Amino acid sequence: MATGRPRAVVLALAAASAIAVLSASAISDVYTEAQRPPQTFLTHTGAVITTTGEVLDPVYQVSEVEFDPDEYLRNFEYGSISEDSKTGQTVREYVIVAEDDRVQEVAPGVFYNVWTFNGTVPGPTIRATEGDLVRITFVNNGTKPHTMHFHGIHPAIMDGVFEPVGGGGGQFTYEFEAGPVGVHPYHCHIMPLEEHIIHGLYGVFIVDPKEGRAPADEMVMVLNGFDTDFDAENNFYAANTVPFYYQHHPIQIERDRLIRVYVVNMVEFDPINNFHLHGNLFYYYPTGTDRSTSFYTDMITMSQTERGIMEFTYEHTGKFLFHAHKVEFSEKGWVGVFLVKDPGPGDDGDYGGDSSVDNGDDNGDDNGDGYAATGGYSGAAGGSTRDVTGPAAAYDGREAPDGA
Amino acid sequence: MTDGRRPMAHERGRGLSGRGSSGAGRFRVVASGAAPLALVAILVIYVSGPGSTMLEVGVPLPEVTIERVDFVGSEILATVRNTGPIPVSIAVADVNDRIHPAAVEPDAHLERYETAVVRIPFDWNVAEPYTIGITTDDGTRFEREVESAAPALSPSGELVAFFAVIGTYVGVIPVLIGLLWLPFIRRMGRQVYVFFLAVTVGLLFFLALDSVEEAVDVSQENLAGSFNGLMLLATSVVVSFLGLFYAGERLSGSRGPGDGGRAGEGDGRTGSGNGASPRLAGPMAIALMISIGIGLHNFGEGLAIGAAVGLGSVAFSSFLIVGFAIHNVTEGVAIAAPLSRERVAVWKLAGLGVLAGAPAIFGGWVGGFAYSPIASVVFLGVGAGAIFQVMVVLVRWIGRGGSPANGSNGRGASGGSGLSGAPFAAGIVVGMLIMYVTSILV
Ligand SMILES: [Cu+2]
Repeated sequence: MATGRPRAVVLALAAASAIAVLSASAISDVYTEAQRPPQTFLTHTGAVITTTGEVLDPVYQVSEVEFDPDEYLRNFEYGSISEDSKTGQTVREYVIVAEDDRVQEVAPGVFYNVWTFNGTVPGPTIRATEGDLVRITFVNNGTKPHTMHFHGIHPAIMDGVFEPVGGGGGQFTYEFEAGPVGVHPYHCHIMPLEEHIIHGLYGVFIVDPKEGRAPADEMVMVLNGFDTDFDAENNFYAANTVPFYYQHHPIQIERDRLIRVYVVNMVEFDPINNFHLHGNLFYYYPTGTDRSTSFYTDMITMSQTERGIMEFTYEHTGKFLFHAHKVEFSEKGWVGVFLVKDPGPGDDGDYGGDSSVDNGDDNGDDNGDGYAATGGYSGAAGGSTRDVTGPAAAYDGREAPDGA
Repeated sequence: MTDGRRPMAHERGRGLSGRGSSGAGRFRVVASGAAPLALVAILVIYVSGPGSTMLEVGVPLPEVTIERVDFVGSEILATVRNTGPIPVSIAVADVNDRIHPAAVEPDAHLERYETAVVRIPFDWNVAEPYTIGITTDDGTRFEREVESAAPALSPSGELVAFFAVIGTYVGVIPVLIGLLWLPFIRRMGRQVYVFFLAVTVGLLFFLALDSVEEAVDVSQENLAGSFNGLMLLATSVVVSFLGLFYAGERLSGSRGPGDGGRAGEGDGRTGSGNGASPRLAGPMAIALMISIGIGLHNFGEGLAIGAAVGLGSVAFSSFLIVGFAIHNVTEGVAIAAPLSRERVAVWKLAGLGVLAGAPAIFGGWVGGFAYSPIASVVFLGVGAGAIFQVMVVLVRWIGRGGSPANGSNGRGASGGSGLSGAPFAAGIVVGMLIMYVTSILV
């Protein structure tokens, strides 16, 4: 066995190289792409961060999601209008198509299988006047059965519960008299109900009083959320689907003009949601059914499908936040800004449609300094007692071996 | 049994053809070895190559693992790795389930096993727990919990010194103190000598199991499932054990020329010995192997300590260091025991002690500044394998009566001083008990 010695060397080399490869692959990180030119972005507190990588920024990045919350905000579908020759009743006809195979970007960079009425979440805002005949040709182009269930007053057969409409082109015509006055949700009512709702099969149905309401800048806000990883907790919250959208694109309104917001809470999983307005109070009409109200507040709390009409007028210009005061929801996207401008044209330049939030410059500068000095942690965060006791305890132990 | 015969037949065939024309025969051997490999390659390309959708059943789910979280200045840095079967993009970062603007460097797209660092500007508070979340493009959120935020370590001179001091307290000094038992063991009779050797076996056995347990912990807490932590550990242990065992056997036989080494080793196993020639298999060689094995173990231990400090999961206390120190004194005994019948220069002894203890310092540096869970598992596994190998050498040595010159007496033949004697069993039990009791202090 003269080959014993070389074989031993080969074996030892093989073992050594196996270990070397294992540990080398563990220690070295694999980077595949060259570095990009540096970019900057702002934190929630206004600090400026520079990076050579990519920015993950739900607030400040221009979002290119397929659904446009600006367009949805003030869009009302009145249907194709005709008059019943016998009764003289106004007839509003709609075609609503359900689908359940779309994958849409519900937050920048996050793709989710949405189930839609007419291609969007929420579905179109259907608007009629009390007493009108609403006729909806419902087409189900999805793969599962779906329905349209309206909150309101209608015959049992029009309730969208016991008459599932099959997928692949199934049809059903919903027909009922619009009422009562107010703001109502509509949604699919196929079991499992939660699944059909959270995927996005919901929308808003507004019934105007015959005599109309006072002229106002009107808008719809559906408070919704997405559980993108199916753990029965929402990953994202929003007013009108896209998290942080109106914080990045403030809703422009005029000073001294009446604003009317139809707000509907469609959040699932969390028992309540709420709406808090900054720098102002609003009159609130629960469900929009009463013409007068004693609610004058800056904060309402809503359970599932609770809804109402908010009316307010700003007397100051500037940026005013509105958000869930359940802060978890606002920090996951349910937050926006009203940009109040002086009435009349030509004022755009003052505000510029920029993307910064309403934090003062002082705040931002302070934090910026903190970031610039890498070691300056204690200086930047001297405010809390936890900070003072925490490091002291940790460093005591760490210095013990030196002193011993 | 048929499996066993087939290669035999093969070999015979090779031999025949070799006699005919050696060039063609060698080619045939190479071809017969390479053909299955080529077929495997073709299979892989056919099944998973571009354009093949034949076997796409089921939906591959993305997975990213947050391998480490560092707290630096006013930022939280999360090192993420794509440990799933498909490429992913990182879309959202959150702290305690609250979304924050962040940056991914070098970029958000991660191929399989690619890593990136997510920088989340956040004014964190020392000693508070944080959960860092990363959401991928399909909306799945992955998280990692940090029990207590602590400023990330950077290799400053101060910290290098800090780990050196800790390593010295935990590794070097205790081992050297343990070695001071040498004169004591030296004065004991044969039976007591065997007892101390057996104590060493017990100590080593405990240490090896300890390494394995720690490696299992690391792989379960810090390694993504796709890395097969347990099998990585098993592979490391076996590779290290066999590699060192084989190297040790070669070294032992290196005095005899060529085949003589083999023969000597064979003799050693049957207990007849190879005469009294001063071979490397002597006490010094065994002590050296024990030192190397313990050194590898202490490197793994240093890694764990450094990582614990670096990840903020341990607040280092003087109590903990005392515990480690007492525990590690026993390692000195393990090195001293086989040397007790030898004249050993003090500098050699000290060298052995440093060899066993100092790796704790290097482990601390590597663990603290460049922690890698995979490297930890590999090194702990290698350490365990090394210790198992030393145990085998020691047990065989005890079987020969505790000294090479005494080998002809054979296993246990000399009245209870070998493997079947009471000192051996008692020694192992005592050794493990000592380790257990001192381990409670850690
Ligand atoms: Cu449905």
